[in-house]
Amino acid sequence: MTAVIQTGELGKRYHKTWALAGCTLSIPAGHVVGLVGPNGAGKTTLINLATGMLAPTAGTIEVLGGRPASDPAQLARVGYLAQDAPLYAGLSVADHLRLGAHLNGGWDAGLARDRAGRLGLDLGQKAGTLSGGQRAQLALTLAIAKRPELLILDEPVASLDPLARREFLQDLMESVAEQQVSVVLSSHLISDLERVCDYVIVLAGSRVRLAGPVDDLLATHHLLSGPRRDPASLPGEVQVITASHTDVQSTLLVRSSGPVLDPAWAVSGVGLEDLVLAYMKQAARPAPRSSRRLEVQK
Amino acid sequence: MIWLTWRQFRAQAITAAAALAAFAIVLAAAEPSLSGVYHSSGFASCHGAACTGLASTFINDLASGGGIAGVPETPYMIVYFLSVVVILIAPAIIGIFWGAPLIARELEAGTFRLAWNQSVTRTRWLAVKLALIGVAAMAVTEAFSLIQAWWAAPIGKAVGLGGSGSIFSETRFGVFVFPTHGITPLGYAAFGFALGVTAGLLVRRAIPAMAITLAIFAAAQFFTPLIRPNLFPTSQTVATIAATGANVSLTANPRLALTATTVPGHPGAWIISSDGVNAAGQPVSTVPAACEPLIPQTFVSHRGPATSGPGPNALNNCVASHGIRVAERYQPASHYWPLQWSETGMFLALALALTWYCFWRLNRRRRLAR
Repeated sequence: MTAVIQTGELGKRYHKTWALAGCTLSIPAGHVVGLVGPNGAGKTTLINLATGMLAPTAGTIEVLGGRPASDPAQLARVGYLAQDAPLYAGLSVADHLRLGAHLNGGWDAGLARDRAGRLGLDLGQKAGTLSGGQRAQLALTLAIAKRPELLILDEPVASLDPLARREFLQDLMESVAEQQVSVVLSSHLISDLERVCDYVIVLAGSRVRLAGPVDDLLATHHLLSGPRRDPASLPGEVQVITASHTDVQSTLLVRSSGPVLDPAWAVSGVGLEDLVLAYMKQAARPAPRSSRRLEVQK
Repeated sequence: MIWLTWRQFRAQAITAAAALAAFAIVLAAAEPSLSGVYHSSGFASCHGAACTGLASTFINDLASGGGIAGVPETPYMIVYFLSVVVILIAPAIIGIFWGAPLIARELEAGTFRLAWNQSVTRTRWLAVKLALIGVAAMAVTEAFSLIQAWWAAPIGKAVGLGGSGSIFSETRFGVFVFPTHGITPLGYAAFGFALGVTAGLLVRRAIPAMAITLAIFAAAQFFTPLIRPNLFPTSQTVATIAATGANVSLTANPRLALTATTVPGHPGAWIISSDGVNAAGQPVSTVPAACEPLIPQTFVSHRGPATSGPGPNALNNCVASHGIRVAERYQPASHYWPLQWSETGMFLALALALTWYCFWRLNRRRRLAR
């Protein structure tokens, strides 16, 4: 399978601050990819680079084998739902669907109509008066009905209440299953992603900390607990991600391709949320650079 | 893209159409009475040399309300003045309300992310918007101008023949008449619109972009008359004081100033400067000593040309008898269209440069919203 997003040493600098640096990724097709990291980690920057809203400062990026937003054909292959689901406040729901039909050669009018009907969107209503959940749904409808191969969603549920959040993600998953589309969605909440993603990328401090299929990641990470001892005593192929110690006990999160056989450790599995948090914590620990100004992009 | 452009532009288009209709109705309503004065003054049916005098009669009738019972003194002046002002400010209004928000609103609301991620490149998005709305801007402004020109045709004709009174004194080269007639409104409209769009793209917020558009456009409008005389090569001639209709006037010291009113052999010429020269063609800046006793006392304290009385005429004759003539720099009437093309071309070129910059800026893909 070809990569939906392939980057090589990709970087983006705003004035003197690198919002994203040294990002090398190859995201295979057919996944629902969760892009997770704290606010200002570079998620939106990566998404803006992938949608061609920004040009990179350094490195390369290819989306579905092409340069992002380089021509109409490339634009047609990528559906994008921007943060806060921007819509034209003065235009009605029907106008937005008409906009989609006029601006996209591959527009699936039937799909758009069905979705709008199923979601209970009033065609005559102005987009400016829709609820947050409805806005997100309408914006998603626009992104899906152009029949993209890749759907990129930037914090799609961040502004939604828990119920709308659940509904949105459920609907998204159904659409993804029907249409065989690859998805990249970002969130700063792991709990949002846990239920829907089968591939995860952790961004922290403007760098990629972890990337891979969720199943593989869970299979190769272990939580070790046992009497307090120096983590350096572990075998070389075991990589310690985080370690916490009490007076008598040590708890380690380690990455190891094989099982950890040392009988001194009690080995247990690790959840996605703990895993992601461990990598974020690791990213924050070595260099809490005071100069790191977090770029928050709208 | 054409549909979206129209859908987003619809309200502004309707507003412009309504303004144009109101303008046309007001002038059409004022036309019969203007036409009445035109005919009653005899100017409409004049022949040959009689026209010059009748032109003045017509203009004087207009300035005094046409002598029609019940008509206040100034309706023609008000209509004439306001109609010219409308054409003058239309490009600024277009730049402010059509140009500045065009991109800035999209950036403010974040909708550029929606617009630029449909299957249409941002280059095409901008090209269609600029082309359609730019053409509308030029068409609306020119329509204002043509309607006004139709209404004011008798006034223009009379002023061209030397008629002059109150505000009806500008020839077609006038500071207010030139940039509102002919093809110059097209250039100003294109420039105003492109300026607004560019300001919106750079400032990213509609309201400040509107203010900047207004400031720069007003400055352009203010400074253009200063360079207009040199937009096309000028002609020069030297003639007697009498032939140029000049009057001696004095600035302090006493310095000599000669204000010509005509260019011999070139009716309707636009006089850019007129200066006293001696027989050798060298500039003369003082009144000959022999003529000094003829300088009226009012000249010593007040500057400017004399209005009446035998004094100035005697002074004119005295200065002329000392061999002082008038050197004129002017644009002959035949330069009207070359000047129109030059000024229009200048603003169209500016508009194109701004447009080119917008395309370039949009495709640099720098961060557009904070």
